[in-house]
This record gives sequence, C-alpha cells and structure tokens, in this order.
Amino acid sequence: MASNIRKVCVIGAGTMGAAIAAQVTNAGTPVLLLDIVPREGADRDAIAKGAVAKMLKTEPAPLMSTAAARLIETGNIEDHLDRVTECDWIVEAVLERLDIKQALYARLEQFKRPGTAVSSNTSTIPLGKLVQNRSDAFKRDFLITHFFNPPRYMRLIEIVRGSDTAPEVAAGVEDFVDRALGKRVVAARDTPGFIANRIGNYWLASAINAAIDQGLTIERADQIGGKPMGVPKTGIFGLIDLVGVDLMPLVSQSLAATLPAGDAFFKTVRPLPLVDRMIAEGFTGRKGKGGFYRLDKTPGGERVKLTIDLATGEYRPECVPAPLPALAEKDLNALVDAPGEVGRYAWTILRDVLAYAAGLVGEAADDVVAIDDAMKLGYNWTWGPFELIDRFGPGRFAARLEAEGVEIPAIVALARDRSFYRVENGRRQFLAADGSYRDVVRPDGVLLLADVKLASEPIGKNASAALWDVGDGVVCLEFTGKMNALDEDVLTLIQQAIPLVESGYKALVIYNEGANFSAGANLGLAMFAINIAAWSEIEKLTAAGQQAFKALKYAPFPVVAAPAGLALGGGCEILLHADAIQAHAESYIGLVECGVGIIPGWGGTGEMLDRYARSPGMPKGPMPPVAKSFELISTARVSKSAAEARELLFLSASDGITMNRDRLLTDVKAKALALAVAYRPPDRPTFRLPGESGRAAIAVVVREARARGLATAYDEVVGGRLAEVLTGGDADLVDIVTEDQLLLLERKALAASVKDERSQARIEHMLETGKPLRN
Amino acid sequence: MQVYNAPLRDMRFVLHELFDGGDFGGIEALAEFTPDLLDAVLEEAARLAQEVLLPLNASGDSEGCTFENGVVRTPKGFKQAYQSFCRGGWTAMAADPQWGGQGLPAAVTMLIEEMISAANLSFSLYPGLTGGAVTAIAGYASEDLKRSYLPKMVSGEWSGTMCLTEAHCGTDLGLLRTKATASDDGSYRISGEKIFISAGDHDLTENVVHLVLARLADAPAGVKGISLFLVPKFLPGEGGAVGPRNGVSVAGIEHKMGMKASATCQMVFDQARGWLVGEPNKGLVAMFTMMNAERVGVGVQGLGVGEIAYQSAVAYARERLQGRALTGAKRPDLPADPIIVHPDVRRMLMTARCYTEGCRALGQWVSRALDAEKRESEPEARARAADFVAMLTPVVKALFTDLGSEAANLAVQVYGGHGYIREHGVEQFVRDARITQIYEGTNGIQALDLVGRKLPARMGRTLRPFFHAVSKACEETCADSNPQLAGFTAALGQALGALQLATATIARRALADPEEAGAAATEYLRLLGIVGMACTFLKAARIAQARLDEGSSERAFYQAKLATASFLFDRILPQCSALLLAIKAGKRSTMLLEADAF
Repeated sequence: MASNIRKVCVIGAGTMGAAIAAQVTNAGTPVLLLDIVPREGADRDAIAKGAVAKMLKTEPAPLMSTAAARLIETGNIEDHLDRVTECDWIVEAVLERLDIKQALYARLEQFKRPGTAVSSNTSTIPLGKLVQNRSDAFKRDFLITHFFNPPRYMRLIEIVRGSDTAPEVAAGVEDFVDRALGKRVVAARDTPGFIANRIGNYWLASAINAAIDQGLTIERADQIGGKPMGVPKTGIFGLIDLVGVDLMPLVSQSLAATLPAGDAFFKTVRPLPLVDRMIAEGFTGRKGKGGFYRLDKTPGGERVKLTIDLATGEYRPECVPAPLPALAEKDLNALVDAPGEVGRYAWTILRDVLAYAAGLVGEAADDVVAIDDAMKLGYNWTWGPFELIDRFGPGRFAARLEAEGVEIPAIVALARDRSFYRVENGRRQFLAADGSYRDVVRPDGVLLLADVKLASEPIGKNASAALWDVGDGVVCLEFTGKMNALDEDVLTLIQQAIPLVESGYKALVIYNEGANFSAGANLGLAMFAINIAAWSEIEKLTAAGQQAFKALKYAPFPVVAAPAGLALGGGCEILLHADAIQAHAESYIGLVECGVGIIPGWGGTGEMLDRYARSPGMPKGPMPPVAKSFELISTARVSKSAAEARELLFLSASDGITMNRDRLLTDVKAKALALAVAYRPPDRPTFRLPGESGRAAIAVVVREARARGLATAYDEVVGGRLAEVLTGGDADLVDIVTEDQLLLLERKALAASVKDERSQARIEHMLETGKPLRN
Repeated sequence: MQVYNAPLRDMRFVLHELFDGGDFGGIEALAEFTPDLLDAVLEEAARLAQEVLLPLNASGDSEGCTFENGVVRTPKGFKQAYQSFCRGGWTAMAADPQWGGQGLPAAVTMLIEEMISAANLSFSLYPGLTGGAVTAIAGYASEDLKRSYLPKMVSGEWSGTMCLTEAHCGTDLGLLRTKATASDDGSYRISGEKIFISAGDHDLTENVVHLVLARLADAPAGVKGISLFLVPKFLPGEGGAVGPRNGVSVAGIEHKMGMKASATCQMVFDQARGWLVGEPNKGLVAMFTMMNAERVGVGVQGLGVGEIAYQSAVAYARERLQGRALTGAKRPDLPADPIIVHPDVRRMLMTARCYTEGCRALGQWVSRALDAEKRESEPEARARAADFVAMLTPVVKALFTDLGSEAANLAVQVYGGHGYIREHGVEQFVRDARITQIYEGTNGIQALDLVGRKLPARMGRTLRPFFHAVSKACEETCADSNPQLAGFTAALGQALGALQLATATIARRALADPEEAGAAATEYLRLLGIVGMACTFLKAARIAQARLDEGSSERAFYQAKLATASFLFDRILPQCSALLLAIKAGKRSTMLLEADAF
C-alpha cells in the first residue's frame, strides 16, 4: 500500500513542516513544500526555499543525505496550490490557528483530487472543528497526523480519524507513515492535546508545582523525577529547557481553552510568575539565554553551571544533591517510601501523572497500550504510565490513592489484584477496559525479538550474546552484554553458531533491540588489560575476533547484519563481514579506532580496501582504494545515517535500509532468506597493494594535514601504523597480498598501538571524559 | 645472641646500582645528594644503630616501660640514646629544610629507618611517630600551628603521636566518639578516651604533640564526620618554652606481647585545648596522608626485624655444632659440624635472606617513587609515581611485615630450644615483629585496600606502572645470553602471567560479588609481592652477572646475589602457581560454613 503514496505535498515550511518534508524525502519520496508568498522580495518561493537551506545546517540534521534534499521541490500556496494534484497525500503544517487552517482547506478543496488524503499536523485543535463547512468528500479524505519534534528522530505519530474519515484513506496514510516514514502509529481519539502532550503537559506542570510547593531544588527534583522513573536524564526541568520554556504556557492555554470542565488539568495547572518572568527576560531555555539551568562565564572566563532557585527566582551555582538511597534508584516502592523530601516528591508526581493517565483510557485513547506507547515514543519514557503502575504494584498504588482520598480511576480498580500486562502462553497481553486480557497486537509484518524471547528459549547463550530461532529457518545472533560490547564471549558464541546454523537452519541474522547495535570492543576491559600489561591476551582476543568474523564471512550460509543506532569499531567490522546489511535508517557506522590511538584489528581494514576496490566508480590502480580507506579510517568518520553509510561504502548498493525500527527484523530475515536460495560463500579477495611507495604518498598528505593543524603529532604516528597495513607492509605492486597477510599486518599494528603510552592516554581520556584526546 | 651489622653493601647496591637510570631515578631536585654524601650518611646511621641502639634492645625488652603516678618512664638508657639521636640530626633527616629538616630523599631515609628498626624496634617508634605527625601538620595545619610546632618536632625536642583508636573502635573509625567543641578563641575543647597510643607519653621529650581524631558537635555520622585536631601535652609558652599543662593525661600503659620498651598508652582527653588541622569533617584525609607514610614505615620495621633475625640465625648456625653433614663430615677437626651444613637449616637461612634482600629492593623501588611523586618536574611523571606508591603501599606494609615475622620465626627455629629461651634474645624478634602485622591497619585490611580500592580504580590505572615495569623486565631478554638469567626471565614471565590472570579474575568476579575480592585478597597481595620481589631479583641478577663478567673485584657480593636470586626463583617463586589456584577457587569454600557451625 505504501506505493500508493508516490509524492507528498507539505504545506507550511516552519520547523515542523520542513522537517516532515525532510523525513518524507529521507524515505526516497519526492515532496512539494509550499509556504506563503513573502511580503517583500522578488522570489515568491523564498520562505520554502529558505526553510530547506536552513535544514541543511541544522543539527541534529532533519535530512539524512544531500540526495534527500534534492527531492524537495519548493513553491508557494498562491501560485502552486494546483500542483497538489501531483501528490497522493497533503500534509498541512501551517500556523496553529483555526481560521487560517480552515481557509486553506477551503482553497485546497478546489484543487485536490478526490481520494487524496489531507492531514493536519495540529497538536491541539479538534478534527471536528477543522473540517467544519467542508464537503463530505473532503471530510472522507481528512485526518490528523500529529508528528513529534524533531520528526526524523521521534518515533511517535498520533493519528486521529474523524467520524467521517474513510478507513481506506486513513489506512493508506498510516501504512505510509509506518513503513516509509518509520513511525509507530498510535491511534488517538479526537480530544484536546490527544494523548502524549495532554499527559506530558500535565506531568510537567504537576512536577514543577510540587517542586515549588515542597521546597525542592531543581537539581533534587530532576534527580528524583528523572532516572529512577525511567525519564530521560534531562529530568523535568532539563526537558522544559530543551523544548522551550515559552512553549509551556502556550500549550497550557490552548489545552485550557479546549479541555472539558472538571478535568484534573484545571486543578493542577496554574500561572507561574517565575516562568512568565523567565520568558519576558529571554530565558526561554537552550534556544534562548538559558532556562532553569544555564551556563555562564565568570569574569575569569571560567564556565559555571547555574540553576534557578525556585524560591527566589535568582540564578545560583549548580548544587549536586545527596545521592538517593541505593534501592530507590531501581525500585519505585523504595523511591516513594524513601524518607523526607525524596519519597514525598516522588509520590506526588507519580500519583498525579499516573492517575491522570489512567483516567484517559477510553477518553483520549482506546487502551493502555496506546497511552504507554505514546509516552514512551513521544516523551522517551523508559516505561509507559501503566508499566510504571505495574512496577509499583497496582494494588499498592490503589491502596495508597484510597488512603489519601484520591478517586481510583476505573482501569486501576480493574487492575487492582492483577497487573496491566502479563505474559500468557508466550504472548504479551494487556488489560482491556472490559476487564479481560487481550494480546498486544503488532502491526502487520512487524516482528520483534522481544516477542520471540517471551515465547521461546534461546538455542545458544552465554554472558554476552544469545542465539534465537526467529522462524523460517533463520537464527538471530543477539548481543546482550553491557552496551552490547563485543568480547570474548560474543566471539565464542559466533564460533558455536556456525555449526549450529549449518546443521539445521538456512541463515543467520545479526540483530538486537538495544539502543545501539554495538559500540565495538569493550574499551574499559581493553584498558584494564593494557594496564596489567596483558599483551598476549590482547593479541589472542585480536586473533579470535579475526577468526570469528572470517568464519562468519565464509560460513556455508548467508549472514545478514541489521544495525540500528551506533555500530562502531568492532561493531562496524562485524557488519563488513556479513554477506549483506539491512540497516535501520538511523544507523551511525564508523571505524573509530584511530580516535583512541589504535587501528581496526578485526579485519576492518581489509574489508574496506576490498569494498573500495570493488566499487564501480573507483579509479583504476592500487592507490585509490588505499587512499580512500585511509581517509575514512584515519579520520574515524562516522556516518550520520544509513544513507550516508552507503555513500561511505559501509553499505553497498544491494544492502537495504529500513525506515521503521520495528520492521528491521522482518526485513533482515527476508533478505537473509532471499540470499539462502542457492547460496555460495564469497571468494577470498586478493589485493595488489602499493607498499612503501604508497606509504610515502600517504605520509605527504598527513604531513600537510599536520601543517594545517588538522592532525596532531600522534595522529601522524597512528596514521603511519594504519598506512603500514593498508599499503600491504613490504608488498610490492607485483605481489599478491592475501587476506591472511593483511590480518597479520593488522595484528602487528594493533599490538604496537596498545603498547604506546600515547594510545593509552587516548583510551583513558575517552573512558573518563567520553571525548577524544588530541595528543 | 642478637647480632646486627647494617647490610651497607646491599644498601649501597639497591641505592646506587639496582635502579641506575631506571625506574623513578635521576630526579633533578635530588641532585645535591651525591652518592658519596649518601654513603657517608648511611655509615653514620649504621654506627648509631649498632653502637647506640642495639645494646639497648634486649635490656629495654626485659625492663619495659613503667607507669607510676601518672608518669610514663622508658627503660634505662633510652633517654640518653634519644638525646644522641637528636644531636645527630636523625629526627630531622626527612623533614622539609623550611622547618629545620635535611630533606633527605626517601630512598635513603627508608634505609636508615630499616637500620633503626633492626637495631631497636621499640626505640624506632618514638621518632617514627613524630615523623608521621610532622608530615600531617606540614600538609594540613595552619601556618601558625606549623610555626609553633614543626621546628620543635623536627629537632626532636617535642615528639608526636596519632590518636585514632578507641576501646570500641579500631578498624572502623566511623564509630569514633571523642568530641570536640568549638571555643570562642578559635580553638576546640577535646574530650574522650583513646587506647593503644604508641609513644602517647614518655620521658624522652619535654612535650608530646597529639594528633587526635574527634567529632564536632554537628558532625554527620560515620567517617564523614571526623575531624583532626592538634592537642599538645603542654600548651606552647613564650619563646618556644612549654607553657601550662593541657587536659591530657595517661590512664595507664598496655602490657603487651612485645615492643615492651615502647610505651603504648591509654590517653584521657578532658576538655583539652586543641586546634583543627585541615577542614572540619575531613580529618581522615589528613590522617590518611600520615597513615600511608606510616604504612610504608611499618613495612620497613618488618624488614628490619627480619634482617636482625636473619643475621642472628646465621651467626648461630655457624657456631652451633651438632651432628654431621648428610654427605659426610665437613669439619672432621671438630666434634660435630656446624648446623649450617644441613639443607634444611640452609633452607631457613636462604628463605630469610631472600625475604630481606627482596623486600629491601622492593622497598627501595617504592621509596624512589615516593621521591618522584614529590619532586619530579613533570606532572605525568608525578602521577605515575603516585599510582605506583598507591598500589605498593599496602603491599609493602603487609608483605614486609608478614615476611619479617616469618624470618623471626625461622630464626627461632634455627636456634632450636635455645631460641625459645629468653637469654638468647631471638624470641624477642618474634614478639616484637608480631604487632607490625597488626597496627596501622591489619594486613587483612591492607589486602582489602589492594583488591578493593587500588585494583579497580580507574580501570586498573594504579596497576599500570608496576605491571608495565615487570612486563618490560620480562621482555629485556637480550640481556639473557646467560642460560641461568634466561631461566629467571622465563620464570618471572610465567609468574607475571599468573598475576595477570589472578588480577583479571578478581576484577571480573568482584564486579558481581565484592566478597570474591575479599576472599582472594590476602593470597593476591602475596602473589603480587612475590612477583615484585622476583622482578627486583631479576634486575639484581642481571647486574651481578654483568659485574662478574666485567671482572669486578667484589666477586663474593655479586656471586652471593646470584645465589640468593637462584633460591628465590627455584624455591619461592613457584608459590605463585599455588596462590593462583587458591585465588581461582573463589570464595565458595571460605564462606561455606554457616557462622553458627564454627
């Protein structure tokens, strides 16, 4: 069905409209981006054009590649509205004013083809009001598609169907935003603020009020209301700084205007003079002069972190609160039972937001799953409200509400002696409003490893990795260690997986559902090994990695890797050894070893040489692949998307990109099964490498970079070691260098690197500060 | 028979030859101390130890300290000995010249402390504690306090103590009860009782300066609420004289197993005036500066006792005639052979010899790092030295005292029944050495410090200088054309492998279960200590072989060094394999028995 939408029109080139347009082109679909005609200037398309130009400089980037940017056509709504006939979906993202939107729809109705979907990105205006005065045909084509900011990175989309919306129109849009734009669709009802913002706004207001009323410092409030509740580390006040302090009263006003009387919102949300003053003085958060937190410089030029004192409204130096009781970090009950301000504050905000969310089942959302998904994907909560109540214990939660005389929401009363979620016969189920449990249904074609894991036992497992039967003869290798680091155990399981897959399965996929695919070898462990001079152990681990990865490469079945998030160092090298890659669009891939003063040691250098050598556009001769590989590896370049990874040749033309994280396992499985038909392992590559003369050429380039201040003294040394490998050591153009010879060179260069005190300083610095040391 | 001749040749070897140009050597700030000057200082110290202190060792032990009418007296001769000690400037050797000290490098003062400890361990405590107190005051006290107290303490006119322990609170200082109340004049009133206070009171000096841990009225509970105070026995008077008596008194002295000439006092502080040293509630920081220095010092005490025990045993084994050598009479002219012909007696003597030479060399390595930590010009070099010191401090404390104690016991064994009789004086070594394994943090606590704090810190960063040095020594095989040396190198490489495996094993297991580290701690410290000693012996053997090959005139010394090294590599280093097995076994069997089943 995705193919039904071949071109999209986005009207309104503000931050959201432009970024939605960008995400559509990220999926390879062309976009017509329209805005109003500027009052001044000759170029009538200047606003839309300006928005595209601005996006090319925005960080984090809305666009995944420059190729995507070229898919955006710009125009204006005076001259080009007739071109909506070229488009299969029209997204309206203009100013959040009913009159403007209604006027636009009236004009659109004159031009658009019947059956072409129109959706609004409104965050607050009910659908019914938007389509007042429109024809029935228009109403049939109309829905709300509420994206979250920034649309490329936030995985939530709330979709509201009106009572007149044609199901097939809505389904077409939903399918497109799911598969092409990579969003998880949450069905919301036509109520003010929909789901996530209604709860989120209430949550923030309640948390600020409680902090003020209970006399907490901002740091303390964020410490309690952040990590222990599964809220991103920005906490509450940090989050407001991030989205903009000025946005709060705007959203509150808009909700206040539309929410039904009696909503708990009116009891909780109150004007905050402090916030008004901050906005008036320009302290609107990170985009302004700072917000609740801000960075300042002392007269001496030293950077200091300041925080607002909620009582006085004045900035003061940041204070670090006393650590929470150890148990309270992990256990919600321990948190709310903690003595003093910790327990009191924790309970207040949890009580308010969880009870509020529970009251919205059946009003703003159909079920608890929709609400949990909305908060997890729209506000990056680790657990949704109902998962939080389950962690608390619905019985305990209800009893405590009761003891305080707070009305128990109906759904909580239903869950009282049980839980909102349970696993039955290997399936995750949720508690429906009628009191029965129903299966959590994934969208068609979505397969999650998390679900496989509920229903089965691993077919292989150790401390750092596991093997799962994901059906149809495919085995999935999952990394399970801390940060999905690759260590001895992972390599061991790879070696065990090969005979296992060979004996009873068709293919192996390498996939996991962690935040990051893998950031490579465990640098901390490596540092420890270096500190105790365990050189032979390091050499053994290097060799074991090379052997395991080559065993994957030459295994008698296809191996397809599916990165999402970071795939760095060893995490990148394992990709390079797969027969194919099916990458999530948000894949950040790179061989970053040089940043910590070492070089790739698990076959990454040879694989990159081979990729460049086989690349169709590569000039002839032994030097171009060497020079390209050197540039890529010595600068520790990391792709900012899967699309860019393809430009860098980490991905080849035949590798796939999946936009929706939830569909990655399905896609990688399909790719592996396609390859399994008449599979033949790859031939071993051989290399013709320039040796000494190539190194001389590289040395000139590095020396120049150093002269221009782009490389440090030690960069030159590390570059020399890398060049030694890439040019084939003592090779001569007449020699054929084998893969094994390259591996040997890699091992030697790596061994020399780890013994160098300057590499040790880099690794240590990276571990302690998270930043590279430029020595 | 207590025999002690300061091992000056070996001391010169570790000082001038062993680390020549190597680890932590060549510190510019110490250039003024020429080898000739240092040798002269060592000879002077040897004379003091042998002629002044040694003669009082046995007599001090039999007489002991006395306590009458609130007054503590040291045994006969101690006061005169202390006066000549001060006159010779020995109390000032390590201190900063700013306060009248001589600023000698630790590399030398450690050797001098060894001699003093060997000749008279009880005596060594009086100036030893003063030295620790001087370090803490110089590091943390106000300028006023420094000016009032340091010159007198450095000259030896006043002595120092550290008052930590209370009846209910030894290792766990968080339980401390002594109270401090602020007075209007900026001083404090200290009240409470302390026990086990070495040199708490005595008749050697006109004043005693106590460094007392106490709690301020509003202090948080536990170790984060402890402050350090300077509390003198007599308040300072005009022009450097002593003024009125402070509220500090002695309730009694302890009756101990050994170290009888050292006064171990129960102190009572009754509204005594004191002054804060360092910041409120941060007393442990200042105290641990002192403690760390003291811990190395206690290790050296163990080494000293081991040395005198060894020498006394050798003297006896040479003259005691019993039986015949297993291969036939060695001295047919005598009624029996001296017992030194027997392999098992040799085993005991060689073991003790390995311990003292090994500890001396390892101690020298650490003391050079102590100098580098303070005086190197580059911050990286100082940091590296500080890491080395941090890691080796618990090793020096526990290893040296365990081995010193073992050497003392071996000496008694060599003497047989005569060793058990007081008049020969060797049982005193056993009694004296025993406390060194206990005070300044028991050796079990030292081992925990090593595995619990030092090992995991910053991904093993504190381990780096030591492990890299040992690894480098193993890689320098080009020096080993000699097959014996090549054998040593290979053996050290294997032992290092065992140590690395043990380190990685403990680090990994302790992440999941800190008791795993606790159960392995003592064996791990010993393993690391043996590897450290073996590393210094490998260097020593390489130097000795080179000197012999060059035709050195000191053949006997270098040949003996090689022989001792051989014994260490043959007979002591193999313990590493057994220690590794014990470590790998983990905590299970240690913790298996329920507490009530004991």
